[in-house]
Order: sequence, then C-alpha cells, then structure tokens
Amino acid sequence: MTKLILSTGNIVSGGPSIIRKPGAYRSNLELTNSLRSNFLAAQEEAQQQHQQLHGDDIADNNNVNNNDTSNGHGVHIDDDDTDANGTRGRPPASAWTAEEDGVLYVPRIDWSMAGLQEEPAQYDITAKLFFLPTDAPVSDRARYAREALDLVLKELRVPAVDLLIVSFPGMSFDGDCEWEADKINSRQGNDEDEIATWHAAIEGLYDAGLAKRIGLAEFGSEKLARFLKRVRVRPKVNQINLKNCCNVPPPLAQLAKEQGIELLVHSDCTDILPKGTLRELLGQGLGGAGILADTETGKGGLQGDLTPQWVVKYTAVVRDRGVIENKGYFAGAGLDGA
Amino acid sequence: MGLLALGTALDWPEAKKQAHLVRSWGIRQLLEIWNKAKGKERDAMLWGDEVEYLVVIYSKDDPKVLLSLRQADILEALANDKTIGKEGCTPTLPDGSNDEAHYSYRLNQPFPVFHPEFGRFMLEATPGKPWGIDFKELLKVEPNMKLRRCIAKDHMLPNEYPITLTTFPRLGSPGVFTEPFYPVSGPKLRSQFVPDEIANPHIRFPTLAANIRSRRGRKVQVNVPVYRDVETPWPWKDPTVNYDLHQWPEDDDVRNGAAPDNFIHMDAMAFGMGSCCLQITFQAKNLTEGRQMYDQLSPLGPILLALTAATPIYKGFLADTDVRWNQISRAVDDRTPEELGEKPLQNDRWRIPKSRYASNSTYISEDRRLRPEYLDPDLVIDESIKQQLLDGGMDDRLATHFAHLFIRDPIVIFSEDLKELDLNKTDHFENIQSTNWQHMRFKPPPADNSIGWRVEFRPMEIQITDFENAAFAVFMVLITRVILSFDLNFYIPIGKVDENMETAHARDAVLTRKFHFRRNLFPAVRASRGSSSGSSTPTGTASRPPSPVGPVEDEYRLMSVNEIINGTAYAKAFSQQQRQEDNNHVPEDDEFPGLIPLVESYLDSVNVDVVTRCELETYLDLIRKRASGELWTTAKWIRHFVGCHPDYKKDSVVSERITKDLVEAVVRIGQCEAKGKGFGELYGPGGEVPDFERLMGRHR
Repeated sequence: MTKLILSTGNIVSGGPSIIRKPGAYRSNLELTNSLRSNFLAAQEEAQQQHQQLHGDDIADNNNVNNNDTSNGHGVHIDDDDTDANGTRGRPPASAWTAEEDGVLYVPRIDWSMAGLQEEPAQYDITAKLFFLPTDAPVSDRARYAREALDLVLKELRVPAVDLLIVSFPGMSFDGDCEWEADKINSRQGNDEDEIATWHAAIEGLYDAGLAKRIGLAEFGSEKLARFLKRVRVRPKVNQINLKNCCNVPPPLAQLAKEQGIELLVHSDCTDILPKGTLRELLGQGLGGAGILADTETGKGGLQGDLTPQWVVKYTAVVRDRGVIENKGYFAGAGLDGA
Repeated sequence: MGLLALGTALDWPEAKKQAHLVRSWGIRQLLEIWNKAKGKERDAMLWGDEVEYLVVIYSKDDPKVLLSLRQADILEALANDKTIGKEGCTPTLPDGSNDEAHYSYRLNQPFPVFHPEFGRFMLEATPGKPWGIDFKELLKVEPNMKLRRCIAKDHMLPNEYPITLTTFPRLGSPGVFTEPFYPVSGPKLRSQFVPDEIANPHIRFPTLAANIRSRRGRKVQVNVPVYRDVETPWPWKDPTVNYDLHQWPEDDDVRNGAAPDNFIHMDAMAFGMGSCCLQITFQAKNLTEGRQMYDQLSPLGPILLALTAATPIYKGFLADTDVRWNQISRAVDDRTPEELGEKPLQNDRWRIPKSRYASNSTYISEDRRLRPEYLDPDLVIDESIKQQLLDGGMDDRLATHFAHLFIRDPIVIFSEDLKELDLNKTDHFENIQSTNWQHMRFKPPPADNSIGWRVEFRPMEIQITDFENAAFAVFMVLITRVILSFDLNFYIPIGKVDENMETAHARDAVLTRKFHFRRNLFPAVRASRGSSSGSSTPTGTASRPPSPVGPVEDEYRLMSVNEIINGTAYAKAFSQQQRQEDNNHVPEDDEFPGLIPLVESYLDSVNVDVVTRCELETYLDLIRKRASGELWTTAKWIRHFVGCHPDYKKDSVVSERITKDLVEAVVRIGQCEAKGKGFGELYGPGGEVPDFERLMGRHR
C-alpha cells in the first residue's frame, strides 16, 4: 500500500481555475483544474531544469516542431518524443514528485516556501475536510483527519485553524424546493458513522486546540437534531448549499437559531474527487500527469487500484481586510499494490 | 468639498500672484506627509460612501417643483439636533422587516455627518463612522443610507424632500426654479441662467466660481448635445439663450459663438457642480496596496459610469447623453485660451489637454505588470516640482503623478494662510489636490498620520433609491477585495480609459456601445510550485512579471458592459439587444469571466452566512440585470418617463408639468422606500410609478 498526497499550492492568484462556471459545482472543477495546472507547472519546471542541465536540445526540437503558437506556455509534448521511461515527453515522475516514508507527494512540496505573510492572528483560517466514499473502515478517518489537518497547518505555518468543517459522503442538499431538500437529507449519509467519526476524529482535534471551532456541512434539520443529541463537542457551523440561497428551510433556520449554530453558504460538491476523475488526473491519457500505469499496457507508472480517501480545502483570509491570501487543496489517496 | 476655513479669499489677479507660493508650500507639505506615512503598514480595510441629495420643494397641489436654497438652515438644524429615530424614521431591515434589535442598533449608530456642497440646493451625507469589511456590516450600509435620508428629511420643512436625482431637470430654465427666487446675472457667476445665490454662500464657493471664470477669461461653456426627437426643430437653437444682455463683459460670450446649434447651452459652474454623485473611498493596508487599487480601479471607472447613467435632462431639455461627467468637466474648466490651444503659448506654461475635472491621466503603481505603453506619452508635468519630489525621496512614478496634478493653479487662496508655512497641516497640498477632480483620487494620510492611504472612486452617478446606491457601493467594495485576492490585472493604455469615458456618455451606452477592456485578468503563467506562491500575497510589486509580452493592442478588445460585468457566457445567453450576435463571435479561449462571476468566486471562498449571502445576491442581481438590459438604467427610465408623458410633444422639451410629475414619482419612491415595506405598491399596470419594474425588477 502506497499513499499519495496531491496538492494544488496556492490557487488564489493562480488564474482561471478560480473562476466560477455557471451551473457547475464549483469546488469540483476548481480542485481538478487546479491540481492539473499545478502538475503541469511542476512538470514544466522539471523540464526546464533538465534542459539547463543537459543542453537545450528539447527546446530546439520544440521550436522546430511547434509552429503552432496558439499556446504560448504550458508544456509542449511531442507525441513521438518518447524517453527512456516511456512517458511520451513528460519529465520522469521522479523529477517532479517526491517519495518520503512511503508517501508519494504529487507534486513535490517545497516546505521552505510555506507560510503566511503576517502573524497567524491576523487571519481567519478555515479548513474543510471531505471524507470521500471508500470501502475502508470508518476507524481510518481519525488518521485521515490528522493527516489532512497536519498538512494544512504545515502549509500555512499556523498552530491551529479557526474553523474545521467536516463533510461526510453521501450527503446533499438538493431539490427544487428546500423543504424537500431538508426531508431528503434526513435519510442521507449514515448517522452512526458520522457520529463515530466526530467522536474519534474531530472532537480530539478540537480538544487539542488544533481547530478552534468545528462544524458540519450539509446537515438538514432532522439529521442535525439527531446529531446534536449525541455529540460531546457541538458543531458551531453548518454549511449548506442552496441553489436559490434565499430559501433556507424554516425548520433548519429555527433549529440553527435555537442552538446557536451559524448557517454558512458553500457551493462545494460532496463527492469532490471521484475515483475516475483521480485516475484521469494521474493517468497516461491526454491531460493526465503520467503517474499511474497505462491501464491497457500496464506500463509507464504506478500500478494498482487508487482510491481517493479525503480532500481538505483551506483558506486564509486577512481578517480586517477581507483579502484571501491563500487558498488550496490537499488530497489523500491510497494505492493498493497490484 | 474639502476644508471650509474662513478667511479673506483673494480675487483671481491676486490669487494668481500667489499660485507659485501655494504650490511650493503644498509640495513641502506633501513631502512631509510622504516621509511620515510612506512606511505605514497593516491599516484595516475601512471604507466610506458619500451620498449627495438635491433638496426640492414639492407638494401635491402645487403645479411647480422648486429647488430649496435653505441648505444653511437645514445644516444648522442638523447640527443642533443629533437625535436619531424621530417619528417618520421607521427602522427597517434590508428585507423590509422591522424588529426591536434592529431598532436599538439603529439608535446606537453614530450620527451621520452632513456636509454642505457647492449647490445651495444640495446636501451630502456620510456615515458617522467608516465601514469595515465584515460581510454583515455590508448589509448595514443600506439601512444607514435610509437613516441618513430620513434624518435629513426630519430637519427640513414638510414640503422639502431630499431626493437623489443627479440633476434638477429644469435648473437654469427661464422663470422660477428656486425658492426663494433670485434674479440671474449676478456679479460672481455672471450667468444668464442661474443667480449667484444658487451657490453655497460660503466665500469659498462663489470665489471658486468667479476665479475659474476669471482665470479662463470668459464664462465656462457647458454645451450638451440636444436629443433630436421627431418634432425637435433642426438645426436646434437653444431657445433660452439671450443674445441681448449687456450687463457684464461675459455677456458677449454667446454673441461670440459660445452657444452652437444643436447644443443645450449652459454657462455656470452650478450646472456641473450642482450634480449629485455616489463616491466611495477605500483605505488601503499600505502605500503599495493603495497605488495598486488606484490603478486597477481606474479602468473600471467608465464602465461604472455607463452602468449608473442617470442624467438625461439639462435645463428643461432632453440631452443626447446619459451621464453628468463631461458637464461637470466643462463647468469647472479654468483653462485659458493658450492652455486650450486656441492661442499660441505666450504667458502660460503649457497646453493642457484636459479639464481639472476629467478622467485620470496617470497610473501610479510600481507594479511590474504596468507596461510603459499604458502610460500617457504626452503627460504634462511640472518638471521642477517632480525634481523637488524626487529630491525629497519620492519615487519617479508617484512624483510624476503629483507633478501632473500640480500643473494647475490653486483657485481659492485665503490671504491668512500665506503668513507662514505650517508643516503640520496639509492645507496648501489639499488646495491643489482637491481641485483636481479626476475619476480616481489618491489620498495621502492627513497631516497627523492618523488614517491610512486612501483611494477614492468617483465616477458613479447617484441612483434614485438607497437600495440601488447600497448595491453599487457594496459591489465596488467587493470588487476591490476580488482585485486584491486574485491579484487581477485590469491595465489598458490610459488613453483607452479616456476613450471609454467618452463612450460612456452615449445614450444607453450600456447596451449600445462597447468599451476597451483587458481580455485576460490573470497572470499568463501559473507560479511553478504551488506553495511558493504563498509568498506572493497580492501586493502589486510582488506580482510576477508578465511572461513574454506581445503587442499591447492584443491585450484588450472591445466588450459590452454586459460582457464585462456578467462574462461572455452570460452575455451570449441573456443579451437583450440586437448586438447579441457580436458576442457569439467570441472564441472560447477569449471568453471574459465577468466581474460578477469573479465576485461570486470570491464569496465562495470566504465564510458568509446564508442571510448575508442572500442579501448580497440581491445587490449583484440588480447590477447583473442593469448590465444585461433586463433592467433599465436610471437615465433610460427617466427618458422613458418623459417620452410617455402626455405633456411631452416629442420636441425634446421637458416642461414644468413633466418635471413636477417626475419629481413626484421620485418623492413617492423615496416615501415608499422609507416605509420599509418594499416597493410593491409602485409596480404594475395602474401602479403609481410608471414602469418602475423596468428600473427595479422585483427587488425589494
């Protein structure tokens, strides 16, 4: 079993992946687009370093072959330019990823560049942890949570986050009418798993002072009421995704008010990184990063079954200026050896 | 309007002799504050809005509406009574509901600040303390604007109303349009249309008007093209111009061609400076961020001017333009014939292409994305002042900016201020700075350095309701946060911003015109390693340099306001105009994201509670639909109101009766808004305000 940690770096000034596309769940696209562009950037950098070390024959080659100037940047790859690793012109994975203690970082993370510009107290830092649908036992989630939060704290160089929101698989807040959404929601997810996760994985982070407030996402009124009865540390926040955001189901609004729970808006997709999407991102196909072996030939990279386990989205907003200084994602995935 | 110190104001010939002294003391004061404040850091995001009102006298049974000249009395009443919550000021929430908690909040607000304005029929109100960036606080803006209006109304006579039309439709028309009435052709303005008493009587204001006229050597010429309707005589000769006045030398102006055919002719500062606008001032975290905001907001100026267009009537006639900007520009244009290029330079130092009131001529950031090609190659500056600033430690770009502002003479000088230079004040600096009315203003901290570097966004026209005014104010605040968070790049050559400013004047420019706008707001290449960009908090100078640069002309293209505000995809889908097909030609890789989608992306990335997000959404929706044409601009609505009025004879004349009914509608809208029960009663066929839903949709 090998573990993969994918990262986007700071996407906030990183270009178009931040733009909302009408009609789509944003976070889903934002995550995949920004992972893809971070992989490309890392590969490009590796290629440049390679060229500097080994002469610029590849660059010459590209200049000759790429009269098409529609794309002034990005990685130019000649399909027939196959190198020793068979990765069709991509730099070898080892050039832009890093393996440490059985974990493969895609791309490699330069921690010396981590941190925020000002004192941690100046920021409002939010992390949202998505537990993805896996076959793994719920007991693994404590480990996922710890891994995810540790990466965020390390990336931002802060001792704690101000708010940690937890998103469970299989939940949604959909429906033409939000009343209906509230009803449907009541039967979604798995109460027992969620409460067990909260006890084992989240309350501890709160107790340890690593998350100053903890919250949920996508809990309708009935589910939330059941949840509140059984947890020791109560959520302070419930994030909901309302298509027409002006119709909060009245029972939920009521409950939140009574219980002092803040209702925040989000536009994330619960299943933020489906298995197929991850395979495409890392695969040998067009736009893939070339980390995984070709499914047909079994060549060119890591073999085995890759399962996304969790995603954490983090944002650091300068408190009294409303400026987002850092926003990014980490994703954790497990690889079952072939 | 700046500082209202009392003293002996110099007439122009005397003031002119002291101009150099004031400039040189002003520069020393600027350097003093520069050295004191250039290192200021981490100032909070604070901001303020300024709302300006006309005070009208209206009663249902009186066929005339008039401008009230009781500004001084009203301000005195406001100064003497700072109680909030008198009868009539019904507390309301943005959603139209009332509640106790909100009522007490409202009572605990700091008292708004009311200011005099140039026009004696005007009033300006600002919040009692600056706003922050907490999103919930953004929702307090609208109730606070309503509170201000309500308090103002409470200190007026029962038949006086503060209304937010940009201009009074019949200002300067023959007959009576003020209360009390004064005859025209006074010694200060020498206007044949408005009396001297139209201006605030504080010595600063008549002196300002008189010295502008005197420096210029003739009266100001504010000529607006008349709207040609089917029955408008053509060529059209302004029937209100009197060619037979012989009281002042300036009465010759019209005989010398000051009033050309097909233009509404106006001849006094009051026609421009008597306009109401909506201005927003932002405090930056430091000097660098202030300069970045100044530059990045600058190209947005003409877009927001077109979008807030609200000025289709002058002096009783429909104009062929929709906004106030050029009229103000001409109303304070103090350039001499030599400076204007009408005569060879003999006494004056240079030709000056723009009025003191005009679109920006400089970019001031040291941002590496600012290409030299964006700057005005013919910028007029005072080289010796620039050298003085450079010697004082200021960088080249900012020194250039101030050396450009300081090509102007101070207009109003008080002899008491010339006794000695006080470096603990900024009065001489402000004298020049605050009479450079560009569409952005870069404001150094005050002499005591108690607040930060600020940027003022000045082009927007005032809207009829506080809902709309709050919507535009909040939108601009959010745009600044988006610019800083995403490190957006709006640069286009500054000459193109000038061009856009002219374009914004066209009738219904929002739907019928296109504007130069930058295609790609983002850096061309992403930072190579994700974490490494953690070090590049948007600070302008920290921005990555542009990767291989192509021709500047390829960086921007023509876009509709709809495309700029809503993005290419929305413009393709929802354009209300025949120009729709134009957008369909935009290739996918040249699609523009749109300012509102960018604001939404920003809001998606921060924690906002459900109620706040919904309220912000109504603001964004208003702006979205104004830009797309789904809703009308104020100018279009007023134009339509006039066009459909039974008293309108399709001859461009806006009669007293039409004016009264228009003002009545506006007063009615204001009363309805003040009640806080929404605009429901104003809508629909048989509704009390014609076509109100075309202006407002179903908002509120």
